[in-house]
Amino acid sequence: MSDWAVVTENLVKKFPQRAQAAEKTEAKKKSFWPFGKKEPRPMFTAVDGVNLQIKRGEIFGLLGPNGAGKSTTIRMLCTLLEPTSGRAAVNGFDVVKQANEVRRSLGTVLAGERSIYWKLSGRENLTYFAALNHIPPAVAKKRVDDLIERMELKERADELVEKYSTGMRQRIAISRALLARPPILLLDEPTLGLDPQAARNLRELIVDLQKEGHTILLTTHYMEEADQLSDRIGIIDTGKIIALDTPEGLKQRIDQAEVIRLEVSGWDDKIGAQLRSVAGVDTLTPRKLEQDSQWEISLQTANSRAILPVVVEKVNHNGTRLLNMNIVRPTLEDVFINLTGKALRD
Amino acid sequence: MESTTLARTGVISNLRALQAVISREWTIFMRYPSWIISLFIWPLIFPMAYLLTARAFSGPDNTGLLQFQAATGQSEYIGFIAIGTMIWMWQNVVLWNVGFALRNEQHRGTLESNWMAPTWRFAFLLGSSVPQLVSMLLMLGVSTLEYTLFFGVRFEGSLWLSLLVILFAIPPIYGLGFTFASLVITAREANAFVFLVRGVVMIFCGITYPIAVLPGWMQAIAAWLPQTYIIRAFRTAALSASSFDAIAPDLLMLALFGAFWLCLGYTIFKWMERRARQTGAIGQY
Ligand SMILES: Nc1ncnc2c1ncn2[C@@H]1O[C@H](COP(=O)(O)OP(=O)(O)OP(=O)(O)O)[C@@H](O)[C@H]1O
Ligand SMILES: [Mg+2]
Repeated sequence: MSDWAVVTENLVKKFPQRAQAAEKTEAKKKSFWPFGKKEPRPMFTAVDGVNLQIKRGEIFGLLGPNGAGKSTTIRMLCTLLEPTSGRAAVNGFDVVKQANEVRRSLGTVLAGERSIYWKLSGRENLTYFAALNHIPPAVAKKRVDDLIERMELKERADELVEKYSTGMRQRIAISRALLARPPILLLDEPTLGLDPQAARNLRELIVDLQKEGHTILLTTHYMEEADQLSDRIGIIDTGKIIALDTPEGLKQRIDQAEVIRLEVSGWDDKIGAQLRSVAGVDTLTPRKLEQDSQWEISLQTANSRAILPVVVEKVNHNGTRLLNMNIVRPTLEDVFINLTGKALRD
Repeated sequence: MESTTLARTGVISNLRALQAVISREWTIFMRYPSWIISLFIWPLIFPMAYLLTARAFSGPDNTGLLQFQAATGQSEYIGFIAIGTMIWMWQNVVLWNVGFALRNEQHRGTLESNWMAPTWRFAFLLGSSVPQLVSMLLMLGVSTLEYTLFFGVRFEGSLWLSLLVILFAIPPIYGLGFTFASLVITAREANAFVFLVRGVVMIFCGITYPIAVLPGWMQAIAAWLPQTYIIRAFRTAALSASSFDAIAPDLLMLALFGAFWLCLGYTIFKWMERRARQTGAIGQY
């Protein structure tokens, strides 16, 4: 048995560029024959040389913004996509050469709630996927009952999935991944679209699953989630892992730094430019808040005391008003900003 | 941790997975009531236009029929048209249903969760066509009954020979469906192709007229289409008392076509499966 649950070496995935995107770069002739267009299409690199070593029994969080390559990495690990180059092994099996062994070692939940049949009941879904996972019928029946019980879906198990809430669908999708008791779980944005309560329950479930011995690789673009759940975190951006450490380790990297968090109403990029040029300001990232015309501005600096007066003076200009201000310890969000110069969520 | 997984992989478990795909598809099929329309109503409505045209052309004293009889050796023109349209409908429904089976799963988002399982992937295509085949056989039976009851068609041939023709018709019709299903996953303009194929079948295979009326070059093309043989053999077997020898050459051709299209369907499926893994095509919707 391999020491690592998941290993990737220089994993790369390139896609033929999507039609619309390609059209921008070259005038394309439209042909009626849709198969085997021969001219080489421009390629887009979604995953760009990723190296990961995930320990047995750990929760590993892959944290990154939209389009970073998280889902593409997961799809290569669960054999839905073939790497363009590089290598990946799951449970010691090569994802290309031993695809079937990899599939037997994994339970995967891809993002979105469409991975199960809405015209079947929860129980019918699980029974169906149990057969696909080659679980003997007698064992399967008990296993399905147990999972339904565990996920607190007993009362609704025989209703059609289309009548379920998003949280219930996600629990069926996770049950589907757990059916064969695979040692490794891949969860792609598991809490996406869930209400806060359902998301909290799901995070508790993930922790429980780890206690039961599962290795878990999860992706997320919520830094609180990655921080709270993960033993180690890989930060991924434009297909590359730009930092990999424990949550504490990551935060320590910018430990000397402090973050000034400003809440303002009305924002002018000119003020941003002015503040950036103030000596002692390392980075500045504005983020629009839910409320109309309110912004949260994060400033990283080595010494907040020295620059506070200047900051306050420069902010109250041109209709921009300071509403609130905090000096806080850096979060993973700030780590991300520090590494990439942009916010995790736009 | 309970360290071993519950999966027990082997031939039997792959067959069980195939059976699970079949019963899944059947359950979902029965939950959409639209099948009633395709089963009972379509077979009646679809050939109507052709039948009425034929009736008009046959003239008040049926003199037109004499010529038809001379060209086809059949006097039962309604049955003649009904069989042609039945086979056409069968192929058409297979193109839409079997042909779009994977595409629809792709749209629903379930294709990827199926393909993550350690199961023989062709089982998903094969399995979803079985309930479709059962419903089509029912459709053929119901149509035959309806034509007898409402149009007074006399199917005076042999039931067993007719069933034999249907049996031989399955491989080429479904082989074409499998080929389609695989192409449709990676190609966008799929609908255009269904229209093309069913148009070709409609014109070249003589669904409402004997092929003999076609110009030579069109007859040459018709000879390459299995539907031509299915329709001809079915008419021979069902409409008038005929011997096995009368349909044997057509059955032989159907066996060859069947082998060809099933092999092609499987090959294209394997090609698509690999291509989709490289381009990510199965996840796009
Ligand atoms: N099948 C595909 N064909 C072409 N491009 C693709 C394909 N799948 C993904 N991409 C592109 O690759 C990039 C990475 O996508 P990916 O889905 O891995 O990102 P992600 O990190 O999961 O982001 P998100 O938070 O949006 O889910 C994106 O720019 C996406 O448009
Ligand atoms: Mg994603």
